Amino acid sequence: MNNSFNLGFMCGGMSLIGVTLTIKKRLLFMLLFFLTIITALLIRLGWIQIVNGEWYQQQAFEQQNSGIEISAGRGTIFDRNGKELAVSANVETVSINPQEVRRSKKDKEVIAQKLSDILSLKKEDIIKKLDRKSRYERIVRKIDKEVGDKVRKWIKDEQLSGIYVVEDTKRFYPNRNLAAHVIGFTGSDNQGLDGIEATMDKYLKGKPGKILSEVDAGGREISSNEQKHVEPQKGNNVVLTIDETIQYMAEKAMEKAIKDNKVLRGAAAIVMDPKNGDILALTSKPDFDLNAPFAAPSGVDPSAWKGNTKEDIDKLSKTVWRDKAVVDTYEPGSTFKAITSAAGLEEGVITPTSPVTDFTVKVGGWNINCWKPNAHGNETFTEGVYNSCNPVFVRLSQTLGIDRFYNYVRKFGFYDKTMIDLPGEAKSVIHKKPTEVDMAAASFGQRFQISPIQLITAYGAIANGGTLYKPRLVKELTDDNGNIIKTFEPEKVRTVISKQTSDTLRTILEGVVSEGTGGNAYIKGYRVAGKTGTSETLQTKKEGRYIASFMSFAPADNPAICALVILDHPDVYPHTGGMIAAPVAGKLVEDVLNYLEIQRKYTEKDKDALQVDTVVPDVTNKSIEDAKKLLNEKGLTYEIVNKGNTNATVVMEQMPKQDAVVPAKTVVLLYTYKPEKEPTVKMPDILNDTIEEAAETLKEIGLNIKVKGLGKAVKQAVPPGTKVTKGQLVEVEFKQLDTE
Amino acid sequence: MKGKRPFDFWIFISVLMLLSIGIIMLFSASYPSAYYYHSGNAYYFVEKQLLFAILGLIGMFIIMRIDYHKLGKISPILFIICLVLLALVRIPGIGSKLNGAYRWIFIGPISFQPSELLKISVILFFSYSLSKRRESLKYFFKGLLPYLLLVGLFSGLLLIEPHLSCTVLLVLVSAIILFCAGAQIKHYLAMGLPAVAVFIFLITFFEHARKRLTTFLHPMQDKQGDSWQIIQSLYAIGSGGLFGRGLGKGMQKHLYLPEPYNDFIFAVTAEELGYIGLIAILMLFFVFIWRGIKVALNAPDIFGSLVAIGLTSLVGIQVIVNVAVVTSSIPATGMPLPFFSSGGTSLTFLLCSIGILLNISKQANYERI
Repeated sequence: MNNSFNLGFMCGGMSLIGVTLTIKKRLLFMLLFFLTIITALLIRLGWIQIVNGEWYQQQAFEQQNSGIEISAGRGTIFDRNGKELAVSANVETVSINPQEVRRSKKDKEVIAQKLSDILSLKKEDIIKKLDRKSRYERIVRKIDKEVGDKVRKWIKDEQLSGIYVVEDTKRFYPNRNLAAHVIGFTGSDNQGLDGIEATMDKYLKGKPGKILSEVDAGGREISSNEQKHVEPQKGNNVVLTIDETIQYMAEKAMEKAIKDNKVLRGAAAIVMDPKNGDILALTSKPDFDLNAPFAAPSGVDPSAWKGNTKEDIDKLSKTVWRDKAVVDTYEPGSTFKAITSAAGLEEGVITPTSPVTDFTVKVGGWNINCWKPNAHGNETFTEGVYNSCNPVFVRLSQTLGIDRFYNYVRKFGFYDKTMIDLPGEAKSVIHKKPTEVDMAAASFGQRFQISPIQLITAYGAIANGGTLYKPRLVKELTDDNGNIIKTFEPEKVRTVISKQTSDTLRTILEGVVSEGTGGNAYIKGYRVAGKTGTSETLQTKKEGRYIASFMSFAPADNPAICALVILDHPDVYPHTGGMIAAPVAGKLVEDVLNYLEIQRKYTEKDKDALQVDTVVPDVTNKSIEDAKKLLNEKGLTYEIVNKGNTNATVVMEQMPKQDAVVPAKTVVLLYTYKPEKEPTVKMPDILNDTIEEAAETLKEIGLNIKVKGLGKAVKQAVPPGTKVTKGQLVEVEFKQLDTE
Repeated sequence: MKGKRPFDFWIFISVLMLLSIGIIMLFSASYPSAYYYHSGNAYYFVEKQLLFAILGLIGMFIIMRIDYHKLGKISPILFIICLVLLALVRIPGIGSKLNGAYRWIFIGPISFQPSELLKISVILFFSYSLSKRRESLKYFFKGLLPYLLLVGLFSGLLLIEPHLSCTVLLVLVSAIILFCAGAQIKHYLAMGLPAVAVFIFLITFFEHARKRLTTFLHPMQDKQGDSWQIIQSLYAIGSGGLFGRGLGKGMQKHLYLPEPYNDFIFAVTAEELGYIGLIAILMLFFVFIWRGIKVALNAPDIFGSLVAIGLTSLVGIQVIVNVAVVTSSIPATGMPLPFFSSGGTSLTFLLCSIGILLNISKQANYERI
């Protein structure tokens, strides 16, 4: 046998007579051909059935089982103290399998009528769904349990098939607008759409259950197979680092600031614990009610609002849904000078007492001046920071050079997202290949944009001794019984500056508040450190095209919180961070530190300035001796007014009157006669006076002063020229005028 | 030399086993469709199949006893009759349109597909003719070309029905017969080049052809559309695993697979009997092919040899194309699986042609050199 295919074993005992050799060779070739292809097909089949079998089986399973889903309960979102921020209520969903309902041969009209009666829906709509060719139609979602039970009873009584009532959940936000951007909201399928609801969706959502029944391609149940229930698994609870109370304080502060300063484009505030990066509060205004995220935002005509059109969603995304603290970028302005200072101090090119000058500096044909006309001249570096002199920082950055300066900008995290657990974090807009001019502008915070969360994260490193932390928003996950199942530890990103630099800079920034441009954030007893910021936006419109901000931390010796306040487009003058953002931040810091039960430590200056309010006692008809004693006890002083009758010993009238609330050392006038008409004085003009000057002026004419704030008088409760009863308490508001 | 010998037992037994398994699988695969589409009669398809199988088996036993040489002599007439019938399917009153194609002829109460008869006629006529003028195959114009023209003629008639799968099948079977008869390899190679050119031309310039190829290469891209049937087929095969879901327990036949009792019956079998079952079935088909080729090798003359390889290929090509399609190894063509797929005329004619093969085996020459 001379065949090259060597397949003789399969055709043993054959003869070659009759058929030629060529034919036999080719016949054997055909045998080999079929053998090869069949073998190849067997390998292919094995590949599909054995190697990939499980995957195909899974796919087939999904299409073969009717998808009546039972929603899993969504996990609760708690604040750090276990207060509920987002909860799920049990509701029900009614759905049908139109094919199955039709097959049951019950009257369609009757079914539709009854369903429309129970569920208060249009009968025509139900009939439309009953006529569909699909195998799953939702009749109504998220109805109360009692209504669902009515449908159940009816199904049971009438022995209906193809109509299902299954558990569903509905999200409820007890605090409505509170922390709206942090918490976020869910869609109609309970899927997280924004905020923590979106970023933690995989933990919150749980695993939906199913009513399984095998169906054919037309969605009809294959009768030989029975239904199976797969129970849903509830999602995990998410515990945030947010403190509901601090969040509330921050939101109230922003609402008030927006009103007081006619802020046009909203505001943002963040409160962070610098020791671990915990976000205690994060708010952005305007905001929205989480229970109705698609409702018309204020200022929009609700009758023309649908809430689901592309334009409407766009509008929502640009306004109330926008989390300005995380997704917006802005020029940090002077708040960035702390970063430049940190670089200079850490590199040892400057010390707090180094002599500097703020005379004009020329960079690439650009003259950079101090904000103060004629400049401050020669000063120490510390004074340069207090006065916020731009040329000082330009010169400092030039000493450092581009490489070293931008190395610190990078180390403080301004080139990276902070990776906070919120959707859509903005990427900073910052020089990739910086020039000398870029650096000069950057040294005092201009011509680049960062996000608020980036700035507070960087300040956290300045406050805590030099470590940059990733902002932490989620503390842990818990199960239904409150057991912790996953903890998100604070994450150190890197060490940016030394402890020593941190200490030095904290002291300087404290001075900015106690001595410099940040004075309006000063709180007696709490050592607040911070830096003001005012940045011009590129907007051409004249009114309020500024962003006023104040970045602070306190107490300066051992910071417990960092707080950033940003007011976007305030339509007032003055519009500087020191004038309008600092007082808001100061008040917020005071409230938060009070709440955190941080002890106040008064400085000597504080104690002097501190005027403990007291209630004026009733001393009329008492002897002068008794009156003196009573007033002394209350820390008040007195002045006897006697109409020449020095022998009179009984107080006939007093001013201020009893129960008036006045500061300590207030002079109470004691009349030894009954004056027919109390003597009056003319209110002087004390605007722009210092506290001392104003107090002196008023004292001279016999008025008492109630001091509010620090700095220079900006508002007097009684207008100049008004006649005022002698001895009356006049409230005068002082403010640190920041002309930066 | 003719010898009075028994027919080839292996062919006979493999055919009987394949037919039995095929009818059982047909019942399993067809009952959901039969139930839904034929007023609850789950036996609709299997009843018909059984009837035609019995008819076919009777035909097989009769034809087995007829000397195949007699068939050779009438094959030219048979071939011409077939061509005429193929032309007649288009004529109203005789031909009839079913499922968008003119494939049937009704003569009184009898209806059948001329294309089924054509399969046997082509094999018989080509083999008969080639056994006489095999030497001329050395030359292209004198030898191979006349056959190519004949192939072109009946292909054209089949394509206007249209009946693409039958065309593909008969072109391949004709090619195998010509190849075994001794056609020049270089002629085949020379024809291969234009074929590749035509293929590239189609893919480049015709959206429809390209779409088919795309569907084949990336079936998961369009699950609900063009790829539906091939994906359903893969789901069915994949779900089978090693041992299968068990006879009758397949899910995919419940209207997911289009006509599960027809071209995709192999997918249903794969789902219910698993890889083990498929190995057994493909082994049986291979036994049939091996014994068929052995009959060709031992045939008493070239005519018998060519008829044997033609009939063997007729089954073999259908099997490999069908399995290749359902496993998405080649683009979809709609080839039935012999002995399994539902189809009355087809099964009857198939069993009759097995009768011819068995007759050749009876006359086999087993003497050694």
